[in-house]
Amino acid sequence: MSESIIDADIVVVGGGSAGSTAAIRAAQSLPRGRVVLLEKAHIKRSGAIAIGMDGLNNAIIPGHATAEQYVKEITMANDGIVNQRAIMEYAVNSYAMIEELDRWGVKFQKTESGDFDVKKVHHRGSYVLPMPEGYDLKKILTRVLKRAGVRIENRVMATRLLKDGDRIAGVLGFDTRDGEFVVIRAKAVILCCGASGRLGLPASGYLYGTYENPSNAGDGYSLAYHAGAELTGIECFQINPLIKDYNGPACAYVTGPLGGHTVNAQGHRFIESDYWSGHMMMEFYRELHSENGPVYLKLDHLAPETLTEIERVLHRTERPSRGRFHQGRGKSYGQDMVEMHISEIGLCSGHSGSGVWVNERGETTVPGLYTAGDMACVPHNYLLGALTYGKLCAQHALDYIGDVEISADLSGQIEAERARVFAPLSRPNGIPHHQFEYKVRRLVNDYLQPPKSANRLQTGLAHFMRANEELGEVGANSPHELMRVMESHFIRDCAEMAARSSLYRTESRWGLYHYRQDFPKLDDENWFAHVNLKKDSAGSMSLFKRPVAPYIVPLDKAELRGYHGLRVAQESALSA
Amino acid sequence: MSELCDRESAKAVQAKQVGNAQTVRNFDVPVIVDRAKCITGCRICIDSCPVDCLAVNPETGKAHMAFDECWYCLACEIDCPKDAITVKIPFLLR
Repeated sequence: MSESIIDADIVVVGGGSAGSTAAIRAAQSLPRGRVVLLEKAHIKRSGAIAIGMDGLNNAIIPGHATAEQYVKEITMANDGIVNQRAIMEYAVNSYAMIEELDRWGVKFQKTESGDFDVKKVHHRGSYVLPMPEGYDLKKILTRVLKRAGVRIENRVMATRLLKDGDRIAGVLGFDTRDGEFVVIRAKAVILCCGASGRLGLPASGYLYGTYENPSNAGDGYSLAYHAGAELTGIECFQINPLIKDYNGPACAYVTGPLGGHTVNAQGHRFIESDYWSGHMMMEFYRELHSENGPVYLKLDHLAPETLTEIERVLHRTERPSRGRFHQGRGKSYGQDMVEMHISEIGLCSGHSGSGVWVNERGETTVPGLYTAGDMACVPHNYLLGALTYGKLCAQHALDYIGDVEISADLSGQIEAERARVFAPLSRPNGIPHHQFEYKVRRLVNDYLQPPKSANRLQTGLAHFMRANEELGEVGANSPHELMRVMESHFIRDCAEMAARSSLYRTESRWGLYHYRQDFPKLDDENWFAHVNLKKDSAGSMSLFKRPVAPYIVPLDKAELRGYHGLRVAQESALSA
Repeated sequence: MSELCDRESAKAVQAKQVGNAQTVRNFDVPVIVDRAKCITGCRICIDSCPVDCLAVNPETGKAHMAFDECWYCLACEIDCPKDAITVKIPFLLR
């Protein structure tokens, strides 16, 4: 097997939104070619926003919101378990990121008077800013990346991180097309690998019909874990309200400001806010499984011009094929309500609160290792959080690398990883990756999907430990299949993390995301803490609590429960 | 009766050691490439695909969907300079 060795000052793993701003910012301060960006696919269409995004969901625009209001809102939305400093750091830097995006050519919706056209979707404040040409995002980011002199390595998948003692020393991986082993020795690593989107199995059974870009298979969660970094909130699952079968977002954030809303089968609203939170999802779940289910997105009461506007946005950006999905079913927004369903479970801090433990500098617990975006735990940070933190990570990594040298002898780790990565090729008739993956993800559904209970979680965990052994039987016949086998390893790792964290937190929190039937109440006395995990010196997964840092934006008890009780009172339901 | 149980136990042990067997199966895939419009050697769709499931069909020299691993994102369809690609919703979801 051929091998390629690259030396870099900073290597960014993942070329989506966070990875792009990280690499761009780093390259602005370093010589050409010393910032390497690894992308498993191709940067022009990679990551969660492969086909763009219709808006920024958490923009803090002066005159419409303040940083303090935002920090309070997210603290409420995540039931108090947040590092407020990290959220505040996002809040105070996010407007500057919008200004930079604007200079790069990103269009933001403006009112007739030239003000940002901010919409209210969250329960309390207004933070949603539509982007009318959001389908162009990848084109813009690609252009800026190339101009910045980033060395882009497309079709390279990272499989393990290199360490030199306690600190990070680089990345190991391989080319998913030609199979070449890749060694990147670097002073700092910024992980931007996105969510763990292939954890639960969609109800359709189609492995790649996931909410997240399926390439976001939890790579970063596993990479960070095996490098010894702490992860947090893994029990706070991502569970989203999606179009049934199609499994893409119904986009209440787009339709809501235009008058659309979530309803039950009678066409009545039952939740006050369509903002995605565990408490909203709990009400969604209850309604779905009641005599009033299923749940729908209702648009048929809107004016034809409004429906045209909705189609203009939703059928061109993010998940445009929903247009042909509806047409194929013989449904249209003007005549029919859109049937919704609950997504497969995943791990994502863009929408929820799972990820690698980070501080307000994007630093993980491993020196030299930074992370941003859906895999870095800054709850509910969405696209603008990914973009902003990508830049922050780069800024801090630039400060860090001044005192660091490229490590010389890493041959032990390199040899071990090369053997591990290519082992499946020696089993051409082994178990195919898609059968292994289907089985693990089906077991995730059986045993981890809320409502959770210790009995089911324990049984699931035993299956995932057994799956570790079964991985030794899985084979591959090409670099593409090798990529899928390595992803299977990541998926299995995430399943184990999800089971152990869920077992550890013996209370219910975040509505449906961590609803335990055996501990149905919120227990702040014992569980007002982060649940963290890391790989211990024996190579096992160890779990422990970290206290929630003192708030910098105070909330009283009533405010902390601000996202509870989202169900519409009976009297007002009839006026929908 | 006991003979059948013994046979089952013995076969259970054998089942763990006996090795693998495989078969070939067909999948209906969502991405359809119009061979008349597709330019040999272009590769734009193959580059664009976020899940690496398009490749050159060695028999035709044109692009085709090599794996049933589609996210139905439309990157290939949007980026194809010849409008040679039509993406269907995968059958299981349609």
